[in-house]
Amino acid sequence: MSSGLAVIGLNHKTAPVEVREKVTFPSNSEGTLTRHILSTPGVVEAVILSTCNRSEVIVQCSPIEEVSRRVIEAIAAINGVDPVTLRKYSYIKMGSDAVRHVFRVASSLDSMVLGEPQILGQVKDSFKRDSSAGTIGPYLSRLMHRAFFTAKRVRNETGIGLAAVSVAYAAVELAKKILGDLEDKSVLLIGAGEMAELTAKHLIGQVMRPICVTNRTFENACKLADDFSGEALRMEQLSMALAQADIVVSSTGACEPVIKAVDIKNVMKTRKYRPMFLIDIAVPRDIEPEANDIDGVYLYNIDDLQTVVSENLGERMNEALKAEDIVSDEVKKFMDWTKTLDLAPTIVALREKLEKIRCGEISRMNGKLSKLDDNQREILEIITKSIINKIAHDPISFLKKTKSANRKEVNSDIVQKVFNLHGFSTSMDNLEDTFEDEADNRN
Amino acid sequence: MDLIFFKIAVVLYIVSSVNFLVFLLGSSAMNCPVGNWTARLGFACHTLSILHRSFFSGFFPLATPFDVLSVFAWLIIGIYLLAMLRDASPIFGAMVAPTAVVLMIVGATLSYQIKEPIVPILHSWWLPIHVSFALAGNSVFAIMAIVGLMYIFQERLIKKKKLGRTHKLLPSLEILDLVNRRGLPIGFFLMTVGIVSGALWAGSAWGFYWSWDPKETWSLITWFAYAAMVHQRMVLGWRGKKAAIMAIIGFGLVLFTFIGVSVLFSGHHSFRNPVLGTTAS
Repeated sequence: MSSGLAVIGLNHKTAPVEVREKVTFPSNSEGTLTRHILSTPGVVEAVILSTCNRSEVIVQCSPIEEVSRRVIEAIAAINGVDPVTLRKYSYIKMGSDAVRHVFRVASSLDSMVLGEPQILGQVKDSFKRDSSAGTIGPYLSRLMHRAFFTAKRVRNETGIGLAAVSVAYAAVELAKKILGDLEDKSVLLIGAGEMAELTAKHLIGQVMRPICVTNRTFENACKLADDFSGEALRMEQLSMALAQADIVVSSTGACEPVIKAVDIKNVMKTRKYRPMFLIDIAVPRDIEPEANDIDGVYLYNIDDLQTVVSENLGERMNEALKAEDIVSDEVKKFMDWTKTLDLAPTIVALREKLEKIRCGEISRMNGKLSKLDDNQREILEIITKSIINKIAHDPISFLKKTKSANRKEVNSDIVQKVFNLHGFSTSMDNLEDTFEDEADNRN
Repeated sequence: MDLIFFKIAVVLYIVSSVNFLVFLLGSSAMNCPVGNWTARLGFACHTLSILHRSFFSGFFPLATPFDVLSVFAWLIIGIYLLAMLRDASPIFGAMVAPTAVVLMIVGATLSYQIKEPIVPILHSWWLPIHVSFALAGNSVFAIMAIVGLMYIFQERLIKKKKLGRTHKLLPSLEILDLVNRRGLPIGFFLMTVGIVSGALWAGSAWGFYWSWDPKETWSLITWFAYAAMVHQRMVLGWRGKKAAIMAIIGFGLVLFTFIGVSVLFSGHHSFRNPVLGTTAS
């Protein structure tokens, strides 16, 4: 089979960032570049997917090998890179491999951060853009919809997206497990630092109340408080702030613990034992580890959070195995569907022959029919069309019912012989109708 | 054939329990539709069974241990299904459905023959009031104890920094504590009404309100335990782990009062003593 699906592209696994940043399909917001790819001889349908970690062109084309080479050249030309370099860093996948690749990308199995949720949205956006640009036909349309469906199944049936895989996000998840809804909880940030700020940023998205910031140098606290539109406090106000805060993120450069377990114990009484989540990102540690033994106090240091993250990653890998099974299942279903497309020429030929007979008979009787007015003529058209559709229906469903490829060929041959279809050539334009019929049948 | 709905309900609850448990061990999806639907279906059959029993006995079906346990299980499942409308955490189902199954099977081994004629004292509107409130209170306490167990488990996992599958499946500490916070006053209220209505019933039937039979004594002890809990929670701000432990201890007392006392001692609540209502006459 020389016509079919091909994926040509590069991603974070095959190409270094220096190459990736050059191949980004700039200014394709209206699908003009996709139309350009479509103009490559042999390309029937096309869609371009470009995210920060990947650039891919998915084409339905014929013949695959030759057209793929031409598409690479087109990509190189569009992005202004050397075709040889591009070929070196890119992959070409064809047939069922290409289908599997598209399904895996949409399901986030091919992402840099396994299971990250943004990719599906990006794939959907590309599909929408190129649909309105008119470069997507029935084949790619079906492919993309099956990809969305697969991604949905993976998300629902596996836990691939459940576990947090960054320290900041893991901290937020944990905070939710301890404190429930974070909206009405308050956050206290002690000291500044990149990791602390990152964690705080994640928390701010969840917390409605202003963040409190304290630091040994009050000016720094003010600066940070401005960034988060929070409130700056002096170090002396720490115990008061602890009594208020539900989540404490600490990352000072102090050599001695800033918060002692006894302090926390005393604070718990004033807090009426409302639980507290302490995140100690500093090295050496800011909070005495014994604080974790106090009832209602949950203390995590940076190593604890790292361990959580690496465990979560391991879990995602396990879930990914289940996801691969789902993908295989969906690839098989899609490939089964593409096999029914082999029947298309026979079906089209049958329809054409019947139509030819119909038109022939009507024109033969034209003399006798001249008395008919427009209305009657229209009814005649409708009746005759309906007759040939009904005749065609049974042989077509007979063809479509068969599952095995061999049987299909034999049946196709039978239908061709019975209706004497040899000599009825098929044009690609009519093929599209058969695809649409197929789509109608499903709905 | 008279227990057909009951049997179907038990089977459905078992299917539901197995589903929830398998879910907990294996799958990683976040909801367990089969378990929930079989629980709902089971609940429907269970409701029919209770209606059928009331029709059969010609009165509120709470005159035999079988019926009492059946209604108890029905209430627990009912509260679970009601709570599930808001937060469908399958781990609740995995704990509640097996509890109901155990209660119902224990009930089925006990006598379900209604003695004819029913002792006249049971033909009073105090029966449904007294027993339903007491049972509803017990159901709330049962759920609080189950959730308390979950709290202790989850708390331990977070303290020990073991954030694996179990941790992710269990609800947040806040939600678990919320069940205790909301449940305690409701359960306490129901229990109080149960005890007071019992006393009033005794007053109208026998002329005295309180006769210190073992059941009454132990319910009073249980009542004091829960009263203490309400006090600790509302006034001293006890919450979290302490509240969870208290909920479990409290339910231990409830179980003893509910089943233990009836089996160990005799009195006018006794399941062993068939001459209901005659001891005090």
